[in-house]
Amino acid sequence: MSLSWRRLRTLLVREMRATLRDPFTLGILIAAPLVALLAFGYTLSTEIKYLDLAVLDADDSPASRRLIAELAAEETFTPHVVRNRDEMTRMLVSGKVSAALVIPPDFDHALDEAARGGPPPQVQALYNGSDTVLAGNTEGALRAIVAAAGAAVVTSPAQATPGIEVVTNVLYNPTLSGVPFMVSGVFGFVLSFLTTLLTAVSIVNERLTGTFDQLQVTPATSLEILLGKILPLGAVFAFDVLLMMLVGGFLLGVWPQGNPLLFWAVSAFYVLFSLSLGIIFSATSHTAAEAVQKTVLYSIPVMQLGGFAFPLRNMPMPMQWVTELFPATHYIRLSRDVYLRGEGFFGVLPDLAVLAVYGVVLGALALRTIGERT
Amino acid sequence: MTLDPRRLLSNVLAVAYKETQVLRHDAAFITVVLAQPIMMLLLFGACLSNEPANVPWSVLDRSQTAQARRLVEDIHATGYFLPPVAVQSYDQGLERMRRGDSIALLVIADDFRRDAERGRARVQLLLDGADPLTSARVGAYVAQVAAGFRPDDRPSPRDPDAGPKGAVAGIDVRQRFWFNPTLNDSQFFLAGLSGMLLTNLCLSITCLGLVGERERGTYEQTLSLPTSPLEIVLGKLLPLVGICYVLVFAAMLETGIVFGIWPRGSLLSLAVVTLPFVLASLAIGVFVSALARSSAQAVFLSVFFILPSFVLSGVMMPYQLMPPYIREVGGILPLRWYQVALRAIIDRGASLVDVKGPLLAMTVQFGILLALIRWRMSPRLG
Repeated sequence: MSLSWRRLRTLLVREMRATLRDPFTLGILIAAPLVALLAFGYTLSTEIKYLDLAVLDADDSPASRRLIAELAAEETFTPHVVRNRDEMTRMLVSGKVSAALVIPPDFDHALDEAARGGPPPQVQALYNGSDTVLAGNTEGALRAIVAAAGAAVVTSPAQATPGIEVVTNVLYNPTLSGVPFMVSGVFGFVLSFLTTLLTAVSIVNERLTGTFDQLQVTPATSLEILLGKILPLGAVFAFDVLLMMLVGGFLLGVWPQGNPLLFWAVSAFYVLFSLSLGIIFSATSHTAAEAVQKTVLYSIPVMQLGGFAFPLRNMPMPMQWVTELFPATHYIRLSRDVYLRGEGFFGVLPDLAVLAVYGVVLGALALRTIGERT
Repeated sequence: MTLDPRRLLSNVLAVAYKETQVLRHDAAFITVVLAQPIMMLLLFGACLSNEPANVPWSVLDRSQTAQARRLVEDIHATGYFLPPVAVQSYDQGLERMRRGDSIALLVIADDFRRDAERGRARVQLLLDGADPLTSARVGAYVAQVAAGFRPDDRPSPRDPDAGPKGAVAGIDVRQRFWFNPTLNDSQFFLAGLSGMLLTNLCLSITCLGLVGERERGTYEQTLSLPTSPLEIVLGKLLPLVGICYVLVFAAMLETGIVFGIWPRGSLLSLAVVTLPFVLASLAIGVFVSALARSSAQAVFLSVFFILPSFVLSGVMMPYQLMPPYIREVGGILPLRWYQVALRAIIDRGASLVDVKGPLLAMTVQFGILLALIRWRMSPRLG
């Protein structure tokens, strides 16, 4: 297949003019990835702040009120004191609170016992287990506060704890903030889903209005049409990646630990791959709706199974092998390695090689679908 | 516009009948309606999970004593971890973490046994913050095992309800997880599933349908009928509401049969909370299609809406954990309230009285959207 630079340049200029003429689409092309970045950036969090907590204080003594005050003092919980068990259950069932603490009637008495060397006083904690992530995190936070409060309320000299103390250090992200994890994952989301969707829709539109058929009858070869289509869009998305890196850095405070240039180059390469996929979807669809549904049905599972929001290792083993077949898996892993752990070029080489193979296969497929006359 | 209720009804029904005929012949549409719930069900029910599993970790055991080996064994026995990899030096352990080969590194000092017998042993745990959710949970698991560890005898079998004694100095916290005692993750996702499916369906159908009609010119034909725009919109929405109910109950049935998770509340309350949500979602679709000039624009706009609503509403991640302002922004979305109501009814067996807040919020949202549509959808040509 021949490739004439002059013809390709004409196509590129045509594509560029068509894109610039439509400020709405151009705006979406640039804004959508940033919206995704900001929306996803804040969603994954392990930190509990002002969580509504029902407290059933059956004791109503100075000691129990002091425990409640300790719970409110930190910014973790907003305690709501309830009068009876029914009211507490109601609040848990309706979802007004996600956890409840029951202080038994003899709490004050048990404290005195503990001071004289008796067993430690008991309180009961109830969690809404249907919100699994929330329940897991609430458990940790509530225990820590009750423990701290207990150490202050119980006057007896604390007996030596028989267990082992764990001193925890967190590497790469000491506060365990969810933002870096999500920011590095959003690149995978944007470049696997949004790019494919936008390409699929814009090209199917051109087919509907008939301008695509006009292109096919020009002397331009399929390769030139393909390049003429994906290079300008690729440039827009490569610019998007740059913009996302800057917004992620300045607004969310997440800069790549590794080489930003390496990350940008790899991403720009991966964009071409997603765009080819978009071309294949649009070439095999008759309406915009069909192209959209194809993209959604393919890209959403692939991206989710690629480990964009949930770690792959949590899946059953056979499923993990299947995910290795998807290119998105390799790109998402690669972007996390570079972004979070500062991996270099040679460290990501295996993933890069897999992506290159997929790139060639999809490019060839896209070329074939473009050549087919309707 | 004259408002004769009898005429309104017959016109709405006529448009609804026409719409049903159109949808019945749309093979691609039927495929999507059938395929999407199954795909999402498998994805969220069987594949995706927040719960740590197969966690790779390494152990630097400098003490080489039976006690240290038992601690490692106890941690491994929690079932969240892969078999530990023994490393010979601190640097080697750090290198494994840098490469992402392990999430945690447990360091046991050489005087571990002596300290353990005196009751003040410490171990160091290094966690990979690059994966914060997993690391936070892994840290908690290890601390829990360590707190219950006795150097002299075998620890008592783990009691999931009672926290390890002594972990909490002074006060003994007895805890219980209601509604989902094993903290099974798929229950969280599956309860919100119909919210995701409906948002997707309502928006793509109304948007693409209405804009597509405008592009093909059939919308202009409808305008020339003796029906008011309101009647057209209502007539178009009616069959879609029916499809939405079919979808919700199909998803419910599939969840029950495949994963054994049946709603604890009544189906009636489920049907009641679904109505304002479906109406609000369809109204959003109609509004978006009124803004868009081509089907491409309609798609972009609906993605622009679907994306944040999945993320911010709390169907995928608990909204209670989001930062304060982000949490409030999510309250604008009907999906937020629908998933709150869904979880209450499906997981916790709530009655309609318990979900009156979300119900009211969605109704108000629908009212506002209707007003917006009336303002924007005046009959215009080309």
